[in-house]
Parts: sequence; C-alpha cells; structure tokens
Amino acid sequence: MKIVIFLESYNGKLVKAAKEAISVADKIDSGAEKIGVLLGTDLDSIANDLKNYGLKEVYKGEGGEYATYHSSIYAKAIKSVDADYYVIPGTVWGREIGPRLTVMLDSSFAGDVTEVLDSTKFVRSIHGNKVLSTVEVSGQTVVTVRPGVFDLPSETPSEYELKTLEGHKEDHDENVSLVEVLAAESGKIELTEADIIVSGGRGVKGPENFHLIEELAGLLGAAVGASRAVVDAGWRPHSEQVGQTGKFVSPKLYMAVGISGAIQHLAGMSTSDIIVAINKDEEAPIFKVSDYGIVGDLFVVVPKLMEKIKEVKNQ
Amino acid sequence: MKIVVLLKAVPDTETRFKIREDETDVVYDDSIEWIASPYDEYGLEAGIQFKEKLDGTELTILTLGKGNESQVIRKALAMGADKASLINNEDLASSDPLGVAKVLAKELEELKPDLIIAGRLATDSSDSFVGPALAEIMKYSLVSEVSTIENFDESHLVVLRDATGRKEKFEVKLPALITTDKGLNEPRYPKLPDIMKAKRKPLDEKDLAELSAISGVANRKVKQVKVAFPPKKQGGEIFTGDLDEAVDKLVKALHDKEKVF
Repeated sequence: MKIVIFLESYNGKLVKAAKEAISVADKIDSGAEKIGVLLGTDLDSIANDLKNYGLKEVYKGEGGEYATYHSSIYAKAIKSVDADYYVIPGTVWGREIGPRLTVMLDSSFAGDVTEVLDSTKFVRSIHGNKVLSTVEVSGQTVVTVRPGVFDLPSETPSEYELKTLEGHKEDHDENVSLVEVLAAESGKIELTEADIIVSGGRGVKGPENFHLIEELAGLLGAAVGASRAVVDAGWRPHSEQVGQTGKFVSPKLYMAVGISGAIQHLAGMSTSDIIVAINKDEEAPIFKVSDYGIVGDLFVVVPKLMEKIKEVKNQ
Repeated sequence: MKIVVLLKAVPDTETRFKIREDETDVVYDDSIEWIASPYDEYGLEAGIQFKEKLDGTELTILTLGKGNESQVIRKALAMGADKASLINNEDLASSDPLGVAKVLAKELEELKPDLIIAGRLATDSSDSFVGPALAEIMKYSLVSEVSTIENFDESHLVVLRDATGRKEKFEVKLPALITTDKGLNEPRYPKLPDIMKAKRKPLDEKDLAELSAISGVANRKVKQVKVAFPPKKQGGEIFTGDLDEAVDKLVKALHDKEKVF
C-alpha cells in the first residue's frame, strides 16, 4: 500500500499538523510505503527534519508555481503522485486541498478525522462534536486530519529518496492569487496548536477584565479562548471563540474561567485531556465535564491561582 | 451579475440528540428545529450586501434537502434573496460528500452564477467539503473561510481569511466560489413586510424527471456505519469552601499529579 502525506510547511518549518498526518498514515497501515509531498519555498531546512519519520520518498516542488500557496496547483501536485491514500492536515490549506483532490481522483473522502479504527474505518465528529460518526470508505481515499488530536509520530532515523515535482498550471489558476500574508501577533499562541488554553466567559463581566485571563494564559504559556457569549458581545475577536460555531480544540489542559458551559461550548472543548473550571455557580454545567473545579468568584480565585502557580514554578 | 448562495438546513446548534436503536444515525424527529447552517447565513448576508451595492444582481439560494428546509428557504427569501432553487430528495441528500457536491454542481451548471457563496462548514456534517469540491468541479476560483471582504465589483474580489493565526489576503477574478466564516458580517433579521413579500418569490422545486436526470451522479463510496456519543468524563474533583485551600489543592493536582506545568 502507498500513502501520500501532504507535508505542509510555513516559513521553512513543517507545521505540527503535518507531523500528526504522518502518525495517521502509520495508523492506516504501519507497513505502507509513506511518500511525502513538500511544496513551497525555503524547503532545505525541512529536509533534515524529514529524516526521522520513515518516509520512503519525498516529492519536492520548490519555488516557481509552488512559491506561494495555491489550492488548485498544490492539489494537482499531490495528485500527480499515485497512491491508495492521501493524508492531508486539516488546516485551512488542507481543507481546500482535500476536497479538490477528492474530485480530481473521484475518490472516497473522510474529513476532519479524529480516530483511525482500521484502514477503512475512520471516526469523525458530527453535530459539532456532540456525536461521533464512524465512516467506512472504499477504494482510493482522501483523509483530512483534525489538527491537535493525534500524537506526533515516533522518530527513528531513516533515509528517503528525494524527487522533484514540476508545476502544472491551468489557465483558470491565474484567476486567484495569494497577494499578502499578515503575520500573527508576535508571541500569540494559536488556539488549535496550544497545549494549554485559558478561556474566559461572561463571568469575566467585561472586556476590561480580560487582562486577568491573558495574564493567567501568559503565565502558563497558554492560548486565550473565549465563549460565544463574549464574542457575540464584541468583547473578544471571533478567532478566539471555542465551540460549535468557533474552534474545536483538545489541548492537554483547558481552563474555563467564568464559563457556564452551554452545550455548544462543551462541543468545542470536551475532548481536552484535563478540564478545569472556575465558576461561582456550583450548578454550572461546565463542572459536569471538568476534572477539577473551584466554586468561587473568579476575581478572587484567579489572582490567588496565579500567585500559587508562580510559587510552584519558582521552586 | 448572478450570485448563488448554498443554504443547508441543519438541526439547531442547541439540539440534544438521541441515537437510533441500530446505532447507524441520530434520531431526526419532530423535536428537532431546523435552521440555516450558521456559516451559510453569513454567506447569505454577504450575498445580500453584494446585491445592495451592485445594481442588477440576482441572488438565488440553492438547497439540497430532505423535506426539512421550507422555513429556512422562506427566511432566506425574506432576508433578501430573489428566488430559491430546491432539490428535495432524501436519497440525494444522503449521498456521500462527493455525491452531494456532484448533485449541486448539476444545478449550478444550469444556473451559471458569477459568484457562488457557501458557509465554511455545515454544523451537522462538519466536512468542510462541498464548497471547495464545487470550485474544483466547476473550475471556479476558490477562497475558503473568508472573514473580511475588502473590495469587490462585477469582476473582482479582494478577501482575507484567518490561517492558523496569520491572515491571508487573496485577489480573485470571477467566476469564483467563496466560503464564509464567522466574523464576516451580522446576518439581518427579516422584517414583517419582507416576510409577507417572500411568499410571492419564486421557488423552483425540481420535479421527478429532473431529479432522475441528476440521481446518476450520487455517490455511495463513503458510508456512515455507526454513531455514538463521545465518552463522558467521570465525575471530577470540585473544590468548594475556603478558596486558598481550593487553589492549593488545584495547583498541587495540576503540578504533582497531572504534570501540566
């Protein structure tokens, strides 16, 4: 069996979701020939990183047509390598490439996969994480992988054969171009990549108090999240919303501060490894999904918590 | 110019589901309230705003449903769409992702829009599949998950989207397909006179002959074989009472036992 993995990279680094995609390829068939496809610019430094994942071949498309991301050109490049499975990180790029590839191949598709049962059965969530659905695929299959769910692949030194891809462009591909990338705020941790998330809800009482959440997050090296209520109220940007109409996250530690736990919020975070809730309402539904909780006023609890964490970290 | 907005009827996001006895799907009964998928509604609002700025724009909504979409269509027409096209067929609506895209493409090839708008995902199936797949089938320019429309006219769009923390800006020539993210706009509420007027707007429902012409493209390669609820957490440790003590216990648990910091 042959499995192609799209090794998405940005700024000369393999993205974490691409490494997770390698793990998924191993779970589909640990004995399969794994073939990487690497596209973009500044790919040299990545080449070394790739020597640890048991890849048999890597197809590299560097510069030229591949210099900046283009969903159609990238999908055609991946399609040009023949395989039984195509495993694509479920990032914003992968969510464009996966469906395109499926159309090109006229194949099966399993999207936003969170578990691999065997080579034909995949688990994904429907109704915003409230229900898990097992789908059975047949024949050639494209899989997109939800970021942040799978472990990183085990590393063993291995050599691969490097091949070069030539760009294929169709006329209509000229009609869309990525003209500018505005960098993320420096030091800001992306929700879907974070190991720890601290989220605030209506209990924070106003945007002017969110510095408490930010300080606690800063102390833990965590990303900041928010409930739908505070995003809809305009206190926080929608990019921070965790839940059914926001982001699905599953960090190692999720701290819900002043969040009651509406069903659509729980849908977005209940797969986190450890959930901690701080809420003054003992009856808040968030406590039902929590591993640990403190019933108390967050304006008293959070400062005490930060003091104690600092103490422990300094030991 | 012609705009088509894809609109899917989905269960309300606050729905508490039950699972069928044979565990092959959730129960879809009368207790479920069907709404337009929230991301599709951002797409519809975007379409209405284009129409308000560009004279002569015709805005059509296209729905593939299974008899649960009439209210959703009526609301969309009341919000400002000019007409609706409905493929009402349970069998087609339950094709696999590629099948659904192929069915919709058949109709879009008839409608020949300059711009297709869809939500970035449907909150029920959560595939993020149909929009990008249609762009590939139709050979349209694609930008998905658009959160800002910076500029537009009859032939171009300049749009931005969030991409893992950074923002990407695209220039797009029509014909194009965009999918819409939360934050793009605030969908309007229909006004009462518009609700009345909407009843007279045209609704083109495919008849059996038209349906059978489409049905050949429906795929069945991917099957849902089982559904289940996610495993529930066992009751956690909830600290009440003295807050200093509670904080001590929590930090001790996170540091010594769970080793998260």
